[in-house]
Amino acid sequence: MSLKILVIDSEPDRARSLAESLNAAGFDDVAHVAAGAGLVEAVERIAPDLIVIDMALPDRDALESVRSLSAAAPRPIVMFADEDDPALVEEAIAAGVCSYNLSGVATRDMRAIVASAVALFRRYARIETQLAAANAQLEERRIVERAKAQLMAARGIGEPQAYKWLRTKAMNENRRIVEVAADLIKGDEADALLKP
Amino acid sequence: MSDPTKVRVGLLRLTDSAPVIVAQEFGFFADEGIEAALSVEPSWANVSDKLAHGALDAAVILPPLAFAVTLGLRGAAQPLVVPYMLSVGGETITLEKRLGVDLRERAREKGMAAALADRLKQGGLAPLAVVHEYSNHNLLLRYWLAAADAIAGRDYEIVIVPPARTLEALQSGRIAGFCAGAPWGEVAERADAGATVATSHDVWRNAPEKALAMRERWVEANPQAMAGVLRALYRAGKFCDAPQNASYIASLLSRRAWLALDSHAILSSLPGTHGGKAVSRFSAHVVNYPWRSQAMWFLEQMKRWRLIEPKLASEAVAMRVYRPDLFAAALGPVGAPTPLRDRKREGGHSEPWSLPAAPTPIAMAPDLFCDGAIFDFE
Repeated sequence: MSLKILVIDSEPDRARSLAESLNAAGFDDVAHVAAGAGLVEAVERIAPDLIVIDMALPDRDALESVRSLSAAAPRPIVMFADEDDPALVEEAIAAGVCSYNLSGVATRDMRAIVASAVALFRRYARIETQLAAANAQLEERRIVERAKAQLMAARGIGEPQAYKWLRTKAMNENRRIVEVAADLIKGDEADALLKP
Repeated sequence: MSDPTKVRVGLLRLTDSAPVIVAQEFGFFADEGIEAALSVEPSWANVSDKLAHGALDAAVILPPLAFAVTLGLRGAAQPLVVPYMLSVGGETITLEKRLGVDLRERAREKGMAAALADRLKQGGLAPLAVVHEYSNHNLLLRYWLAAADAIAGRDYEIVIVPPARTLEALQSGRIAGFCAGAPWGEVAERADAGATVATSHDVWRNAPEKALAMRERWVEANPQAMAGVLRALYRAGKFCDAPQNASYIASLLSRRAWLALDSHAILSSLPGTHGGKAVSRFSAHVVNYPWRSQAMWFLEQMKRWRLIEPKLASEAVAMRVYRPDLFAAALGPVGAPTPLRDRKREGGHSEPWSLPAAPTPIAMAPDLFCDGAIFDFE
């Protein structure tokens, strides 16, 4: 198909994956730019038929002022998907992806393109959440280890006793072990540890 | 007790989001039986789309954008109402530093607008930026320069640059200056890239700034909760206006969950912090009353610059979107001064003045336009 699609995303991996999946779906002409102050010039130079953009970028406000060269569509049309398909619209918003139809792309094509972008953005969001959770877990373990080491040094006890002390205190105070541990390392040190 | 009503409120990283953040952090919404979910959005486009598709119930918004969403000018249409205004003032016109400093010299004789207009007409300057096509900023900047006979599109170009990109655009030379809300002018000055040469007060003293927009359908389905939201914001507005709270609010807003910006830059745009060039105000002098005459002013200016159809029946739009009746019903009982009418003559007051109202007259702030015009739509 001869549709020119522009992907605006500051996540290069995701942009590449999206280009690949659009290629596989038969859309050959896919360009990618990162966001930034020069975005409008880039859009005017590339003159795409359709833009797919990450909703987390502030640049959408600038994008909406772009005047398309086509007389039929004097300005970009914001279109998450087929407007008759509220479920896909909702999904697109939830996934954080938005599309601009600059030269009257057919609904059938729009739907396919937006659906693959939604699927990709979803997958990335899931990976990010998992990564954040894994990081948090790692941080927690490090805090507990640090508190244990402090206890062992201060009281001349072994690792099992130190852990037992933390656990008992946590149970008595109805708190999580990591909270007790963080208190123990206290103040700035604990803050520094909590940072990624 | 019944379950709290949920309301999803969108906002941007701007000083004038303060009342919404304060109402949330201090539990003012909770006091009204409302469970508010605030969502910091990266762009006005996001705010508009989420309102249009029902992913937000309410938002801090630019009045011209509230009309654009209602009329479906930039995507799906969604009827919005403005029962409450959040702030006045706070915009800066900030130029590339050398240009700004140079013009300050020349402005001594003829004033800044004329000095900038002359320089724009000489040509060779990069465009000026505003934050959105349907923004107060776009209308105020055009008005200010037109009063000095520099016309957008004829004598200079306007481009759209989101606030968070203004510094980058200024430093790269893509724009010669911008008009944006606080604290972005201050951010550019602190980075030594910009010089603020005027504020929204220089265009229209105490110009209405941000509005609270709510989906009309949500308001119809949740009239009690709507009134509760207004009362919570009214309490928060008073808190934000008190100079002794400024440093506290600045550090609250500066947090990563909210504006994620230097608290000193925010502080200078809060009431009572002298030295700030563009100070916002959130309560005093019936800031919060949605005057239909102000709605008309915005709509007429949108027509002037062909942002809306010149034939559009603006009064019908102003009546439907701006809802002083909802304001009076929600806030009259808690003692908010409530004007007797939905409109007033805009402009003409260079000094504080008094507005007849029940039970007592209301002390009003100056409302002079830079060209001395009076806007009267009786």
